[in-house]
Amino acid sequence: MGITTIIVLVVIAVIALYAVAIFNQLVSLRNRFQNAFAQIEVQLKRRYDLIPNLVDTAKGYLAHERETLEAVISARNAAANGLAAAAANPGNASAMSDLAGQEGALGAALGRLNVVMEAYPDLKANQNMMQLSEELTSTENKVAFSRQAFNDQVMAYNTYKQSFPPVVLAGMFGHGEDASLLQFEDSAEIQAAPKVSF
Amino acid sequence: MDFFKSQDIARRNTVRLVILFALALISLIAITNLLLLFGLGAFAETIDTPMLQQIDWHLYAYVSVAVVAIVGFGCVYKIISLSGGGAKVAEMMQGRLIVQGGNDLDEQRILNVVEEMAIASGTPVPPVYLLDEEGINAFAAGYSPADAVIGITRGAIQSLSRDELQGVIAHEFSHILHGDMRLNIRLIGILHGIMVLGIMGYYLLRSSALSRRSKNGGNIAVVGIGLMIIGFAGTFFGNLIKSAVSRQREFLADASAVQYTRNPDGIADALKRIGGSKAGSVLENPGAAEISHALFGNGVRFSINSLFATHPPLEKRIRAIQINWDGSFDIEAKVEQPEPKKDASAKLNTKGAMSALTALAMTDALLSQAGNPQQANLTRAKQLLGAIPGTLLEAAHNPFSARALIYLLLLDDDEALARQQLKTMQERADPAVYKALLEMFETHLEISQELRLPLVNLALPTLRQLSAEQYTVFRENLDVLVSSDGRTSLWEWVLQRVVLHQLDAVFLPGNRFHHQAHRSLKHLAPQCAIVLGFVVRAGRQEGLTDQEVFAKAMVELGLPESKMPDKDAFSIDSINIALDALQGLRPLKKPAFLKACAVAIAADGVAHALELELFRAIAATLDCPLPPIPLPDET
Repeated sequence: MGITTIIVLVVIAVIALYAVAIFNQLVSLRNRFQNAFAQIEVQLKRRYDLIPNLVDTAKGYLAHERETLEAVISARNAAANGLAAAAANPGNASAMSDLAGQEGALGAALGRLNVVMEAYPDLKANQNMMQLSEELTSTENKVAFSRQAFNDQVMAYNTYKQSFPPVVLAGMFGHGEDASLLQFEDSAEIQAAPKVSF
Repeated sequence: MDFFKSQDIARRNTVRLVILFALALISLIAITNLLLLFGLGAFAETIDTPMLQQIDWHLYAYVSVAVVAIVGFGCVYKIISLSGGGAKVAEMMQGRLIVQGGNDLDEQRILNVVEEMAIASGTPVPPVYLLDEEGINAFAAGYSPADAVIGITRGAIQSLSRDELQGVIAHEFSHILHGDMRLNIRLIGILHGIMVLGIMGYYLLRSSALSRRSKNGGNIAVVGIGLMIIGFAGTFFGNLIKSAVSRQREFLADASAVQYTRNPDGIADALKRIGGSKAGSVLENPGAAEISHALFGNGVRFSINSLFATHPPLEKRIRAIQINWDGSFDIEAKVEQPEPKKDASAKLNTKGAMSALTALAMTDALLSQAGNPQQANLTRAKQLLGAIPGTLLEAAHNPFSARALIYLLLLDDDEALARQQLKTMQERADPAVYKALLEMFETHLEISQELRLPLVNLALPTLRQLSAEQYTVFRENLDVLVSSDGRTSLWEWVLQRVVLHQLDAVFLPGNRFHHQAHRSLKHLAPQCAIVLGFVVRAGRQEGLTDQEVFAKAMVELGLPESKMPDKDAFSIDSINIALDALQGLRPLKKPAFLKACAVAIAADGVAHALELELFRAIAATLDCPLPPIPLPDET
């Protein structure tokens, strides 16, 4: 074993260690955004659990608006399935966009329900209904907040992955694809929030 | 064992660790060179003797340097990668964070058990990570209670009853409270370097097998095998070091668990279940070998020799707890029980005062209980948890509302001033958060003093889920809120400090290598003066001037000649900087400083529950967790 061999060995060792460090950082950042999805899951589940109650309360009053109610229920079921798929694979592009689409559809169905409810002041004044609507709004805020955290973590992962030198190794290490953000069309209320958030 | 003494001992163990590591490194270099000598000796016949001698010297020098370099890089890399604190270890083990609000009963149960234990000890509630393993095992990791995490396996939460889970969690909390975690992370970092040699050898061997060119392949294979042999030697020493440090601490942790819960059966049954189950406590994840010394039970299937096992044998552990154990691992199957309903009937300390003597005696009692919760504290913790209004508890459990909860706790006690603060926020706040805050404010005008610190500790793990950007905004806003009413009450300042101290440790690990300075009181006298001066001024004791109270406190501290700083020395920044410096106080000196604070708080002869809570909060900012205050008729 000559001196050159030893020096080469040491250099290889250093490079190898650095590569392992990069690998571990990639794993850590990925774990982080996957864990961040858990909070979204909890809040969205809560949202989906509120909806059957809402529909049941409304049924009594909206006897002739069955289609609107059924649309809400089926949109809700689709979204719940989309959530399960997304939770199994957070950051996956198709899962994220599917969930976003289904949430959008649910939002639209709920919007139509709201419009219909305008014509039924009795229903609007119903205690149960008011409480449920209130909870739905509050859950929406929580979803938006946890989504922001998730997207932040996804950005951190993507940025690291695309920087040099991780970009060279990321593909080999099983981190080929960028993680996808979760983007909902926020309700008008949330969009109206001032830029400087507290 | 005394909390402060055990922190001191943990520090000394680190010194022992470094010495052992140095010895191991020297042994490794010696073994490497011997192997080289042996290998070259085979070719000695073909080389002239004088030349051989010359080559040998340089060769050995380079090889020794190479070994040191490789081990050194291995250590440094691992230490840096673990500097992210407890969460990094959990992520390395591929743990999944358990968030509140899920449907799984087992998960909810472990979260409740951890919360109770944390409130009883006075520490922030650590986040819980679930490991997808069948074995029954758990670990606690982190540099301090502030960035601690608990990891537990699916096997554990599914097979263990609530009492048994409590025993295991109490054992883990013992590690957190006795400073073992910091030592464990350092161990992982340092040993990684030693073990890396074996890993390298393994990879070289594999690559040589792939290389077709026999001559080169042969050489690489020899090098690979050589490195593997060295690596085994390295792992050998690594385990020797681990076992030297860890086995005794496991007995201590078991004993502490019994003490905290007053229920030896809980942890004994947990150990029996491990003994009686097929998977035992073994983890499949290869990372288990690295953190083997930090686990509750033996995590690696094959411990070469009981001499190098990181844990005492199960039988010995059980017998240490239950002397009359019959040796059988059979226990009744776990009975599924729903979570006990929270006891909302508990009495809380009213605003009634306690006499100064009692208050000082109580601070003494609290200090002696630091890091050593008793069963009474656990009971008290359950009462406190039961007394927290449902909406506030829910708020503490999701990141969005947790912020509003902290803002709520920072509002002034005086209602008029509080409304002024709210107005400032309405102008600047996100409408959703403001709305949540206002609602909480209107419904909970009176939050018992005793619930404030527990609420903060409950909210802390939730706030750790904020992204870095969200945390930056949150942090700025706390500053604005505290200074918005023009004056800073002592309580506001302390509460904000507790929150930021704990969260900064996670989000802004500024001191990556987490050195613990060990300054004496004399060295930090000016900082003591600033903090105590602030406590005195903001406290406004009746019947005594600020100077008198300050002097009393300084006498308690053993620095009678200290002068109270001028008014202009007290800015929020200067006080914060002083408190930061006091983190570096020697562990054995912290009680002295805290006693001086107690004197400052109770100097007027009257101490309310509020002031005692304040005392607990100041202790929290110095990483001295104090258990909750018992009810007056219990003293």
